[in-house]
Amino acid sequence: MEVFINLLVNGVSTGLLIFLLAAGLTLIFGLMSVLNFAHGGLFVWGAFSGAWIFKETNSFFLAIAGAAAVGIVLGWVLERFLIRPVYGNHVRQLLITLGGMLVLSESIKILWGPNPIRVNLPGWLEGSYQFDGIIIIKYRLFVIAVGLLLYLALWLLLSRTQIGLMIRAGVLDKEMVQALGINVKGLFTFVFLLGAGLAAVGGALLAPYSGVVFAEMGMQYAILAFIVVIIGGMGSLQGSALASLIVGVAGAFMAYYMPDLSLALNMLLLAIVLLVKPTGLLGEKGGAI
Amino acid sequence: MRGVFSKVPLYWGLAILLFMLMFPFVNDTRSTLILLTQIFIFAIFAMSFDILLGYTGIVSFGHCMFFGIGAYSTAIIFNKLDATMPNFLIGLLIGIFLSALVSYLIGLLSLRLKSHFYAMLTLAVSQLFLVLAEKWRGLTHGGDGFTFSVPDIFKDRTSFYYITLISMAIVFILLKLITELSTGRVLKAISQNEDRAEALGYKTLHYKLIASVTAGVAASFSGALYAISLRFINTNVFSIEVTLDALLMTMIGGLGTLAGAIAGAGIIEFLRHYLSELAMTYPIFERWTIILGILYIVVLLGFPSGLAGVIKRLTLRNGRKGRKNREAGRAA
Repeated sequence: MEVFINLLVNGVSTGLLIFLLAAGLTLIFGLMSVLNFAHGGLFVWGAFSGAWIFKETNSFFLAIAGAAAVGIVLGWVLERFLIRPVYGNHVRQLLITLGGMLVLSESIKILWGPNPIRVNLPGWLEGSYQFDGIIIIKYRLFVIAVGLLLYLALWLLLSRTQIGLMIRAGVLDKEMVQALGINVKGLFTFVFLLGAGLAAVGGALLAPYSGVVFAEMGMQYAILAFIVVIIGGMGSLQGSALASLIVGVAGAFMAYYMPDLSLALNMLLLAIVLLVKPTGLLGEKGGAI
Repeated sequence: MRGVFSKVPLYWGLAILLFMLMFPFVNDTRSTLILLTQIFIFAIFAMSFDILLGYTGIVSFGHCMFFGIGAYSTAIIFNKLDATMPNFLIGLLIGIFLSALVSYLIGLLSLRLKSHFYAMLTLAVSQLFLVLAEKWRGLTHGGDGFTFSVPDIFKDRTSFYYITLISMAIVFILLKLITELSTGRVLKAISQNEDRAEALGYKTLHYKLIASVTAGVAASFSGALYAISLRFINTNVFSIEVTLDALLMTMIGGLGTLAGAIAGAGIIEFLRHYLSELAMTYPIFERWTIILGILYIVVLLGFPSGLAGVIKRLTLRNGRKGRKNREAGRAA
């Protein structure tokens, strides 16, 4: 029982971190059919800049805010200089975002060196809680809380605000929204920056969670996020949330019982979804929320 | 996007081939021969990628996996059995068979969907192979890799130079034949407008699978040659940088031209050789991957049709100028 609950907590917290990455991917895809391969680069930049700010200032909140700012700035650069020039050409979009990913993760190695960097937990999140002999690490609960909070905020933004309405409408029918006089390109920039910020926050949260950060991490988590986005259904936020939890929890259990096969399990899930329902679990077109 | 290279007359190709055949008599310094051998090997790899991206318009981000499968199959056979020619053929065939199988299965899963799926799936599966190579230590020795001995004919730099050169020429001719045949025309049609190709009655999935398997098999062959050239292998053959090499070489040379892929392979390998020499004096060049990444973005944004496109534009301009001059001469 103890193992089960621990693995569940691990899985849910990892799943929520993946969700922060996948949320941006799926919304960007839903709105503009741009699949951003550089998203993992924003994630790893969030992780490194968050860890660096935390080391310099010793303030965890500042680290997360700083990481979000870095993510948003880099996201703006990406959107403005890489994605906008090739807008409308899917093949070139795919190709150029991969280049962006490479430059982002290589520049990490130039700034911080090629070796992994150790990251410490903030003091007030060290240690663990004990319930009836079940030990739960504090930081994991913190990640779950923050992840749920961000999910809730995103959901409120999409379902209760004007701009959320426009985003959902844009996912449903971009041309129609444009014809109604709404600036879809501006909307897209907004969503892109939002996704970039979320990815960077995810990275900053992951850094103390895993204890070390390294440049290849971006690609590893981006692949998990891609798997999640396909399983959940491209363009569907709820689908991504559900799939993130599935992938996170399944990964945690596999990592415990059959550590070598955890990525293989994700690929198996992916293959089944692609064979049975290529649109994903909740991926009817228009399922933005 | 039919480039200028495909219109270069046959005798130009033959002249270049002849020059390359004579080259070891002119200059047989070890480092030059090794560099050229690498270029030939990567040219095969880049051409295989061109079949996907250039001719069919399929984006694959996991092309390194076929390269790695070919390399590991040959290396493992040489490591476990003797270094003889029959064993080379066995390793090569195993690699080709596995690559064909994997590319077929991935294609079957994702090629009927939008291009994003194939890009993501190939990336994910190639990472799966990287993890597999790292974990299956009994066979691959993990990230440390292993050395192995090869038949004598591969050890001699000059004979291996000829083997890779002739391999490249044969692969070029075979791929050229495929693309010039009716299959190639359908592939081209798919890259331009898949729906219309489908509407004309072609089973586009069938043709895309042919392209995918052909590319996988050719890439596996280049991987096998690569492993032999190093006589060493580690998990780097499955790294994303290998895929990026293929992307860069085809993009720089010009998509959908095959010869462009060869030129691109030459440029990138020369550049890498030069940059790694520079790195000895200027340490900043040790991270040349970022330079290649920036170059890749610049090419994508500024010269989407690559070197072939630039040459085409230049020759067109000259042609127009020449015609104008002739007309002016006639008028006078």
